[in-house]
Amino acid sequence: MEGSRISKDIVRCIVESAETYNAPDGKNHSVINLKIVASIAGSRRISAEEVEITALKQGIIPKRYLRNIGTIGLDGQIKLLQAIVAVVGVGGLGGTIVELLARQGVGHLIIIDNDCFTEQNLNRQIMSKESNLGEYKTIVAARRAGEINSTIKVTTFLERLTSENAQKLLSGAQVVADGLDNLPARLAVEHACRCLRIPYVYGTIAGFSGQLMSIFPDDVGLSSIYGSSNAILEQGIETKIGNPSAMPTMIAAMEVQEVVKIITGVGKPVRNQILLVDATECTIDRIELRR
Amino acid sequence: MALIGVRFYSLWRLHCGADSVTLHADNIDEALAQLEEKYGSRLREKLEAYGIHLEGKIQDYSLILLNGITLRNLKITDLQEGDVLHIFPPAIGG
Repeated sequence: MEGSRISKDIVRCIVESAETYNAPDGKNHSVINLKIVASIAGSRRISAEEVEITALKQGIIPKRYLRNIGTIGLDGQIKLLQAIVAVVGVGGLGGTIVELLARQGVGHLIIIDNDCFTEQNLNRQIMSKESNLGEYKTIVAARRAGEINSTIKVTTFLERLTSENAQKLLSGAQVVADGLDNLPARLAVEHACRCLRIPYVYGTIAGFSGQLMSIFPDDVGLSSIYGSSNAILEQGIETKIGNPSAMPTMIAAMEVQEVVKIITGVGKPVRNQILLVDATECTIDRIELRR
Repeated sequence: MALIGVRFYSLWRLHCGADSVTLHADNIDEALAQLEEKYGSRLREKLEAYGIHLEGKIQDYSLILLNGITLRNLKITDLQEGDVLHIFPPAIGG
């Protein structure tokens, strides 16, 4: 946000438009609602995101984020609104990641996928519907994000991420979230993120299990699990046991939580270790990784 | 011979019927041979019942880490007392 664009008059307008909200715990909050944000943005020719950030800086909470503030604070919400997050792949994992990041209020999403919805996606890919089969996942996801949160900006790439274009596609992102379905693309993302010096939140699923870790540029990463040679796996046991409905959302939600922690600085990301989530027995194991 | 720990995770834990076991071995090859003998056929039989056919030995279709690093990257394959092998299936979907 360009602070210079926000005049004292706009700040005064936001402050005067705020209302008091009585929270269930009896505490009063100064809030601003969707319609007023849109109205001020329209009349003052600034973005709704700028209105929301200015409000937060005055201690006024956009109502849509009221239930976020208790965990990440006003500063955390401002950081999220100012953040750019890339989501690579918008199938099972990526669809839920986009949905939750839009609700959390990440200001700019970059969505990358060249695939279209098919009937076999319906069991688990939250953006897929009978009525949108055949449509590009990226377009559907961008539309959905805009319906959830019209304040945020969405950039779409109808491209398949490869080792050749990864850095170009991910350039500008502050964090990358994994919605991919194969190892070579994940290795390309990891390499690009190391070159761009940004964190990569890795997530995978197979059957009733999943994996999660956040890989910062100098952290241990995928080579500790899969090896450094070229003889790597393309896909795993999911090709045999499938991907049932709940696991993508479980792991995607954990990925989103990692993104939120990384951007806001609240909490401790899962670094230099892999989380193995098993829904069959409801267990989460951690393995410390080494080079 | 070194006494080492072996920990199974996710689907492998379910079908091998154990969270963790210990075994004595001098090197990785010995440890893998013991694991294959004790758990390989059991794991394949259990999965076959679900219509899942796996070929090869346990190390061919598992991710195996020694003290947090894949066997594929190991330079030294001798085992030390207290080493831990982590074994789980590759989950790469999304």
